Amino acid sequence: MEGLFEFLLKYRPAAFAKGSLGFSPVVPLWLIWLVVGALAALAVAHYARGADGLRRTDQAALGLLRVIAVGALGFALARPVLVIAESIAQRNIVAVVIDDSRSMRIADVNNGPRSKVVTNLVGSADSSLLKSLLPRYQTRVYRVSATGRVNDPSALPYDGTKTRLLSSLLRIEDELAGAPLAGVVVLSDGADNSSTTGGSPGITEQLLSLRSRGIPVFTVGIGSPRFERDVEIARIDAPRSVLRNSTVLLNVVVSQRGLGGLKLPVVVEDSGRILGSTTITMPKNGEAVQVRIRVPASEVGARLLRVHVPVQAGEMVSENNERRTLLVVRDQREKVLYVEGEPRFELKFARRAVDGDPNVQLVTLLRSARDKFLRIGVDDSTELAAGFPRTREELFAYRGIVLGSLEASFFSADQLRMLSDFVSERGGGLLFLGGRGSYAEGGYVGTPLSDAFPFDLAAAPPDTAVRELRAVPTTLGTLHPALQIGPSDSATAARWASLPPLTSVNALVRAKPGATVLLNGVIGEGPGARPLMAVQRFGRGRVMGLAVQDTWLWQMHADIAVADSTHETLWRQMLRWLVADVPDRVDVVAPEESGPGEAVSVSATVSDKAYLRVNGAAVRGAAVAGASASDLSLDWSVDRDGEYRGAFVPERPGVHEVTLTSTMPGDTATSRSAFVRVAEPTDEYFGAELHAGLLKQVAEETGGGYYEPERATDIARDMIYSPTGSTVVKKNDLWDMPLLLIVLLLALGGEWVLRRRRGLA
Amino acid sequence: MKRRWTWLAVLAVLLPILTIAAQRGRGRRSPGNDPNPNMAYDGRFTFVRVRFEPLGGSFDLKWDHDYPRAENHFMKILDELSTIRPHMDGSNIHTFSDPEIFKFPVAYVSEPGFWTMDEKELQGVRDYVTKGGFLIFDDFTGEHWYNFEARWREAFPNLRIVQLEKANALFDSFFRIESLEMQHPMNGSAAVFFGAYEDNDPAKRLVMIANYNNDIGDYMEFSDEGFLPISLTNEAYKLAVNYVVYAMTH
Repeated sequence: MEGLFEFLLKYRPAAFAKGSLGFSPVVPLWLIWLVVGALAALAVAHYARGADGLRRTDQAALGLLRVIAVGALGFALARPVLVIAESIAQRNIVAVVIDDSRSMRIADVNNGPRSKVVTNLVGSADSSLLKSLLPRYQTRVYRVSATGRVNDPSALPYDGTKTRLLSSLLRIEDELAGAPLAGVVVLSDGADNSSTTGGSPGITEQLLSLRSRGIPVFTVGIGSPRFERDVEIARIDAPRSVLRNSTVLLNVVVSQRGLGGLKLPVVVEDSGRILGSTTITMPKNGEAVQVRIRVPASEVGARLLRVHVPVQAGEMVSENNERRTLLVVRDQREKVLYVEGEPRFELKFARRAVDGDPNVQLVTLLRSARDKFLRIGVDDSTELAAGFPRTREELFAYRGIVLGSLEASFFSADQLRMLSDFVSERGGGLLFLGGRGSYAEGGYVGTPLSDAFPFDLAAAPPDTAVRELRAVPTTLGTLHPALQIGPSDSATAARWASLPPLTSVNALVRAKPGATVLLNGVIGEGPGARPLMAVQRFGRGRVMGLAVQDTWLWQMHADIAVADSTHETLWRQMLRWLVADVPDRVDVVAPEESGPGEAVSVSATVSDKAYLRVNGAAVRGAAVAGASASDLSLDWSVDRDGEYRGAFVPERPGVHEVTLTSTMPGDTATSRSAFVRVAEPTDEYFGAELHAGLLKQVAEETGGGYYEPERATDIARDMIYSPTGSTVVKKNDLWDMPLLLIVLLLALGGEWVLRRRRGLA
Repeated sequence: MKRRWTWLAVLAVLLPILTIAAQRGRGRRSPGNDPNPNMAYDGRFTFVRVRFEPLGGSFDLKWDHDYPRAENHFMKILDELSTIRPHMDGSNIHTFSDPEIFKFPVAYVSEPGFWTMDEKELQGVRDYVTKGGFLIFDDFTGEHWYNFEARWREAFPNLRIVQLEKANALFDSFFRIESLEMQHPMNGSAAVFFGAYEDNDPAKRLVMIANYNNDIGDYMEFSDEGFLPISLTNEAYKLAVNYVVYAMTH
């Protein structure tokens, strides 16, 4: 198509895209248009008279053809030109960038590796692309995985473990700053996995940087856009850390090509020990399937879980059949404060449910009479001695809070604000239970705490009428870790369907827009439903609302078997979810994995006991892997209060445990451990098909072009019109373009043929 | 003459039957003692009294002693003193075989010296306690112990009955009970408090309290008449409140 365009209009589409059209007549332009107009008018007038006995349609057709012919002639006489800047021969540089990552070894182009295509194009001075560029440009060859020029492109090992395509382009353009760079040619399969590297800017930001420099990038996409046969563990969603003896739900996405209908096992292993598995039936060709696998978290520490499917015959890439994910199993006791406004069985059975859980300490403060409190499970006689905490330091020592049937007027305004800050600033978990003193019925509308509720409290007037409801999980509820009350998906669904109804005395009709409803309450046989359980993020922490007053019926009810552990499991999982990922005073953030020799960025947020950010602390620590340890020192980032940044370079592969201690006058705090897995990245083998989209986007954003390997030599011809580097503005004649002659001949020929048919000539 | 003897014979048969029937309904039909309606479960605390067939087929029901005035008075005290919102307009009577009893995890058993159970009730009380229910045994003395102990062992052969000390959390759950010295309201014998722990582990909850040689139901029933000493009546109420608060928190 481009060849036809060039034949008809003399120049390539790129020239027209970048140039501007003008006229360079030898006589004044107005005179030409006057003569053309007069001749056209004469022709029209001649045919319009109808003296030749023609029909009106013939008159119109003949007149139009004559006008076109005269117009084409006039256009040619006006001497049209294409004004465009062109690169001056041998005065400009072209950077050729080779993607030398491991994915270029994949043999999906004519049964050969992608790297072979690169060698054919730029392997030596005689290779087709370089050969087409050299007459006009000086070329410099670079590679993505390392700095410096490549002297012998045909000898590249293609062993890059990551493709940081865009950041490499920016780096190379920086290296050539000041040189007359006409453009950059990129040979790649289009995969950019730099986003998986911590601290790297996103693709969008890098694209903007490239565009702002104005240097056209010409991309050549190498590889097959669709493998014939392949299966890949596309993604694993798993919590980063859990408490010991939690059940962990792994969401695994398996994608495939050419294996539709096949049954495959998906297995989860920890150090060679199988923790869980399931068998999936592949959907129709090209579609992905998501499975959930439950695995126990019984062994403490950083566990490296390996999720894999067996390699199938004829698979294009076998390395993408497994993925690893790091799961940190913590064996610490999370302290949760349960504040209850009245003695009720919900309290008793909640305490009983978590009584045997070594990882959850449920401290209870019960208002048994006006100004009379019963404390249960406290660490010492001073804890909660004055009732509900009055200072942030006291309240924020807990990691989770359960608020029972306790009306808002019980708290002072400061205490309500503290409760709100407990979630939004401290990052704690807050669970609201149902009851006559809860929600709108407890007077929480318009209080400083009302924003934290996942329900819209003002949507219905307070109403403590007792409603019997069946709890029905929503679609998102079936996926939530707190609601997994059976050993499998089907067992969980069956258990929910068989549970007896509970009662609610809170008139909640809808969740807030940002909340996720996990359970709906259905009255009688339905069909109406109201939200019963909802969760939402609130600032730094998380909130759960449960609008029933008697989950204990799922323990005591006559229909519940004595050995049934639904209530116990539900409460333990709710509280574990509530305190999962609650930050410490020194909250460390580190990437989950990193490559050997790469600097690992570590940041930490440091707070005092009231969880107010501190800027003047000394933050030090170490990254330890076996016998090797790297010291770490973090400095205040200045950008944000309480944020400190630093980095370390791991000496060897393995899981590194990062622990930091902040020291400030009169106060020292130590972080919970963060873990970084240092290993050879395998990202290159995932999503390894040709990604033409990114290459096209880069070309479009920078004013370059996207080419398939067969057309790569066109780059040399299109790059002539690059606006950067040393250029000269040229006027290129268009009066002699074949299209004009063809139009003229067609118009005159058509007129002649029509006149002959009508007997006029 | 023959007709007169016939009438006397009929009277001789009917009189004891009518007398027994009147006794059997004692308390439930007497003036001012109208039976409470059973409350449907709505989440609020409801006093539950356990009904059983009394040992020996006595025409005295036993389980209904002090009903309903004891619970009516107690609910008023509980409502007045604590943040519990009990049902004031009724109390419930269930057997251990009644599925409804599982919606009320505290139950009061009066006169366990005459406590009997059929197979369903036996299974019911086992399930009730194992799931988390709490039992208050009251109003028994002397040799009544033997039947109580036998029935308990029948239901829970592995749960030992132990004597409770003042330091037990039960006696500090709402009121701090300063002394466990009490007397039976009718025979003056010294009260002893027994209990049984879940899994026989004193670190776990008590699943029952037995007021041996005591009758807090009696104290509460007559608390508006001055029939029994006020100080002991106070102690009875304090114990009852503690039992309920303990049962709702442990």
